[in-house]
Amino acid sequence: MDIAQICLQLGPVSASGEGPLYGQIVAALRREIGAGRLEAGMMLPSVRALAEGLMVSVITVKRAYEELEREGLLSTRQGLGTFVSMQGHERARAQAEIAIRRAFHDVTAIAKTARLSEAKLVSWLRDAFRTGET
Amino acid sequence: MQNAVDVRDVVRRQGRFQLGPLSLTIPAGCIFGLIGPNGAGKTTLLDLICGVGRAQSGTITVMGMDIARDEVAIKQRIAYAGPETSYLPWGRVGRLIDFVSGFYPDWDDVKCESLLEAFGLQRSQFIPALSFGGASKLGLVLALSRDPHLIVLDEPTTGLDPVARRVLYAELLNRMQRPNRTILIATHILADLERFADRIALIHQGSVRLAGDMATISERYVQIDVALAAGADAPVVPGLTLLAHLGARARYLGDREALAPGWESTLAGEIVERKALALEELYLALESTPPVRELAA
Repeated sequence: MDIAQICLQLGPVSASGEGPLYGQIVAALRREIGAGRLEAGMMLPSVRALAEGLMVSVITVKRAYEELEREGLLSTRQGLGTFVSMQGHERARAQAEIAIRRAFHDVTAIAKTARLSEAKLVSWLRDAFRTGET
Repeated sequence: MQNAVDVRDVVRRQGRFQLGPLSLTIPAGCIFGLIGPNGAGKTTLLDLICGVGRAQSGTITVMGMDIARDEVAIKQRIAYAGPETSYLPWGRVGRLIDFVSGFYPDWDDVKCESLLEAFGLQRSQFIPALSFGGASKLGLVLALSRDPHLIVLDEPTTGLDPVARRVLYAELLNRMQRPNRTILIATHILADLERFADRIALIHQGSVRLAGDMATISERYVQIDVALAAGADAPVVPGLTLLAHLGARARYLGDREALAPGWESTLAGEIVERKALALEELYLALESTPPVRELAA
């Protein structure tokens, strides 16, 4: 895959973004793998190439790759490169589901405190899902 | 309230470069940031406002006064610090200060001493031996040891260390507590403006490309990433400016003021991310046209 294209997919990362730079790369890789836009078995750019493309330090990219290797989304084969692992897509989706359930838990807690009815909460969720507003 | 600066239809030609026609209003009582690429005309504009050079057409008024007619009155109430001022022939810092201070009825010796101390300068220092940053600080001390109503700073933080930059902005913010004080800064350190500026203007090839208050501008623009069907062309939507289109991915700069309600449903593609832009990212997006595309095969 073209380096410019994958940088468009993952970047930009910046100090003004959410969380540390490596975390922004981790989040973008999770999102792209989870959505299937980076497919299982696909080779990712080398740490140095991605660092140059995203204009961050080599250590930042290395740290992002290592974190996702630990989570099983990526796998590195010595001398060959870093790849999207075979179970990467499922694992990323499972992570997304956990994140969604956690967010629902928080939303429900706020709704209960505010004495909001379940029906109202569900209808708001439906509206949000349809308009896609974030 | 009277504006600090009113620039109306100003044109200034210098060789092959032309500033304007340009109009810009700088209200009194704000920190106003001037940004734009090298060679856009920021320094030319600041020079004209300070009375250095004349516009071939158009008018500039400073605090309601005409820059040609009321030059002395304006210069009593305006201070300037820029990167090209050289104080080398003056020898020691103290000698320069003693000379310059005599020109200004509003010179404040106490303020001058406290600025020297805050910037780590001494009256006994030999000016040619100052570091690059040290020379910048000296220019700032001369500009800020008075109580001007308008302070014009051209690249004031070039060469300043982070501590000195904080000292400068703390001083500027402190001055803003007095009524009707205005500060006009040209800088490339956009993160500083994001934090301290009330209004900004982006100058591009001699004209104002974007101007407004900082909060409105930062809410107005948004980066939108769209995943497209393979081989599909990037959709054209009013209010979206294409920044890049590579493979099945497109990035747009969205202008909330120009986007029609429900525009998302007309988009042939999935919105992957929408992200607020830091001023630096917005600047890069506005300056990055034409969009990045694959080269034709």
